[in-house]
Amino acid sequence: MSSWLDYTINGLIVGNVYALVAVGLALIFGVSRLINFAQGSIYLVGAYIGWVAVVQLHTPLPLTIIVVAVAAALVGLIIERFGLRPLQNSVRIAPLLATIGISFVLDQLVMLTFSPNPRALPSQLPDIRFQIGGGTIGPLDLLIAGVGLTSALLLFVFLRYSKLGWAVRATAQDRDAAMQMGVDVNRVNQAVFGIAAALGGVSGLLVGMYYNQIDTAMSLQATLKGVVAEVVGGAGNVPGAVIGSLLLGLVESYGVAVFGTSYRNLFAFLLLVVVLVLRPNGLFASARQAPPEPLTGTFIAPSRPVRIPRWALLIATAVFAILPLLPVSFYVLQTLINAWLLGMLALSLTLVAGTIGQVSLGHAALLAIGAYTSALLSLTFAVPVGLAIIGGGLMSAALGTALISPSFRLRGHYVSIATLAIGEIVSLVILNWESVTRGPIGISGIPPLSLFGYELVSPISIYWFSFIVMVVLALLQGRLLGSHLGRSFRAIRDDDIAARAYGLSLNRYKSLAFIFGGFAAGVSGGIAAHLYSYINHETFNTQQSILALTVVILGGLGNVVGAILGAVALVGLPEVFRIAAEYRILIYGIVLLLLVRFRPQGLLGTM
Amino acid sequence: MTNPPPDALLTLTDVNTFYGQAQVHFDLSISVPRGHIVCLLGGNASGKSTTMKIILGLVKPRSGEVTFDGASLLGLTTPQIVRRGIASVPEARRLFADMSVRENILMGAFVRNDREAIAQDLDKMLTLFPKLGQRLSQRAGSLSGGEQQMVAMARALMSRPRMIVMDEPTMGLSPLYVDRVLELIRTINQEGVSVFMVEQNASLALEIAHEAYVLQTGKIVLSGSARALKDDPRIRDAYLGGSEAA
Ligand SMILES: Nc1ncnc2c1ncn2[C@@H]1O[C@H](COP(=O)(O)OP(=O)(O)OP(=O)(O)O)[C@@H](O)[C@H]1O
Ligand SMILES: [Mg+2]
Repeated sequence: MSSWLDYTINGLIVGNVYALVAVGLALIFGVSRLINFAQGSIYLVGAYIGWVAVVQLHTPLPLTIIVVAVAAALVGLIIERFGLRPLQNSVRIAPLLATIGISFVLDQLVMLTFSPNPRALPSQLPDIRFQIGGGTIGPLDLLIAGVGLTSALLLFVFLRYSKLGWAVRATAQDRDAAMQMGVDVNRVNQAVFGIAAALGGVSGLLVGMYYNQIDTAMSLQATLKGVVAEVVGGAGNVPGAVIGSLLLGLVESYGVAVFGTSYRNLFAFLLLVVVLVLRPNGLFASARQAPPEPLTGTFIAPSRPVRIPRWALLIATAVFAILPLLPVSFYVLQTLINAWLLGMLALSLTLVAGTIGQVSLGHAALLAIGAYTSALLSLTFAVPVGLAIIGGGLMSAALGTALISPSFRLRGHYVSIATLAIGEIVSLVILNWESVTRGPIGISGIPPLSLFGYELVSPISIYWFSFIVMVVLALLQGRLLGSHLGRSFRAIRDDDIAARAYGLSLNRYKSLAFIFGGFAAGVSGGIAAHLYSYINHETFNTQQSILALTVVILGGLGNVVGAILGAVALVGLPEVFRIAAEYRILIYGIVLLLLVRFRPQGLLGTM
Repeated sequence: MTNPPPDALLTLTDVNTFYGQAQVHFDLSISVPRGHIVCLLGGNASGKSTTMKIILGLVKPRSGEVTFDGASLLGLTTPQIVRRGIASVPEARRLFADMSVRENILMGAFVRNDREAIAQDLDKMLTLFPKLGQRLSQRAGSLSGGEQQMVAMARALMSRPRMIVMDEPTMGLSPLYVDRVLELIRTINQEGVSVFMVEQNASLALEIAHEAYVLQTGKIVLSGSARALKDDPRIRDAYLGGSEAA
């Protein structure tokens, strides 16, 4: 049994590591109002470069740290120059999506180079521990604290006494005014990306040594923790990010002490949601801080959608409807079934992210809620599968809307952060609520699809079932968009201040969109549960949320036909080209990057 | 096409500016002779601040030409234009609110590298704006509007510009400060800095300007020497028309 002092030391050390990530996020947010979702990937890259240096090149510790910092800084500079600078004049969602795409690409490249299996990253310090008070502290703890303090000091000196540091601060406070003083904003961006990446990379190295292990799952975790710490401290506030990080480290450490390890992340995300809801500008925000997002909806690229004639849609529907009667392989049907399930999720997301402008990064949680509800209803209460799936849809609609509703007053990036956190919370609750969800074991033996007592086991019947459900949902959504309600949704997206001035109740409309969207996603998850027959807390993960986002951007945000087309394309094309599974995520990341850069309105245009 | 006079430091020729679909400037032509104070008058939303942004390269025109000292500014970025010798006092001052007054003023010298001369210039600013002396380490955001205007002007002067562009420098100031600001503009000008200023208050601006232009919904409707315009009955009409259109 460790002492409280040990938990405190552990909390502060982990907090130090988070601070190295969060400070970089804060610097970047300060100068470009961007949450850099690739920050965790740089941390991952730092950890693996450290592994190469330590294990293969046998570099001494100080050199290891320098190598990692320089290499990571280079990665940061490349991201800024080639990933983000070309997007300077794009809509505000573009750089955010680009960092998500970059993060996928970097993570996959690391995974392909080093394999997904964890590796041991040996600490280069002697394994001894000193007694202090009732606890112990080791050389690595001291190293991490030292690196944290040194970085903070260097950063302070840089910002306070160097010319470039002044430029960074001036740009963070007023970009246009800084330019009018002759500040080259590109150089400022370069500087902050380089610094943020160096700090993030070193952080990855230290964490790897601390836990003596590195693996590719570190990336998303680091981004999430860094974002939590940064938002808690106030987006863009550098000292705030440090304090937020230490606070987060302590909250987690004490939480683990009281409730156990599997609750660690739950505390982080609950803290985030509480801060977002109560103090979206962070715990230390000064009263006169500018709102962190523009007040009107420049988040979605305006475009003229491609008009597809009704007869063409009818023909396409008919072709897909009779497809199983043609001599096509089981494999083709299976692929299309996956596309229809993804299509339902995309319908949901395109409504929420496109039509009403709430870019959700946690949409897989709605799948999970629908899947678990439907599985448990049919298994535990013997509810017929057809009804159970509808129950799953209703539960997703209700629970999803209830969970997101505290965040309705957030905008832009903040919605994305909140939905990401809520998605993680759902998956952590599933993991920890063992009496209902069976925890990490998951649910097996879920009954197969059936309708009115007939089991749908043949691929053809499953195909038709999922296709018909998707078409019905799409038709409903099409009707919805054409109605007065749809116009109100778009009005809110385009300018919620004006929409409010016209007397539209934002909360009511956002709820309606999430209810409809939650239902579609829940139904998709429900069907999936009965197809897979086994689900656990990782079946529906952030990767799927991002895949769904890529699908709807590919199709055109808000575009119903586009969502389905995007799903068919992203599920189908890798099959057509026989792309191995491990390269798919990489391809999705690249597709997202290319779309953002060259065709932000998607294939069929935003609506 | 009107040919700019040969001694013009800054010229805008047939500039057409758009925000998306909306046209803000229609064949705008303005010239600022070397050593003069030129004032652009106009009501709300007539396109005055956009003219400033065109000069500074923050907004690029769809057509037309902008030259400074004979060379085109159109291909340049804002920092490059600033390095050519144009300093600005933006609308609503736009100080770096969380930086100190000293840091704000020194930010004005960002394009310079001569440390000692910068320090001397800072002292000079304190004689020109004596009130700022006690406020140097205070947060700029905590100053009064009039004091902020002084900081903004000191900041602009610190780059040793050949020309200063000012957007409504007297806006929101008490009469005492308005006089002070106008006096300072005249002093700055007498030291050889050309001034292009945007104003809504015609009678004030015409006090100190050499030439003036009147902008109405993106078109120059009147221009000439300040002395002539002061007595022109149309100036009031143009004015009221401009405000009503806004
Ligand atoms: N960034 C922008 N995007 C779109 N329209 C803009 C933008 N900036 C200004 N406008 C519009 O261009 C027109 C001219 O604006 P500008 O700011 O140049 O006017 P102004 O004469 O400075 O007005 P004021 O006296 O209120 O400062 C206005 O109709 C304004 O709404
Ligand atoms: Mg203006």
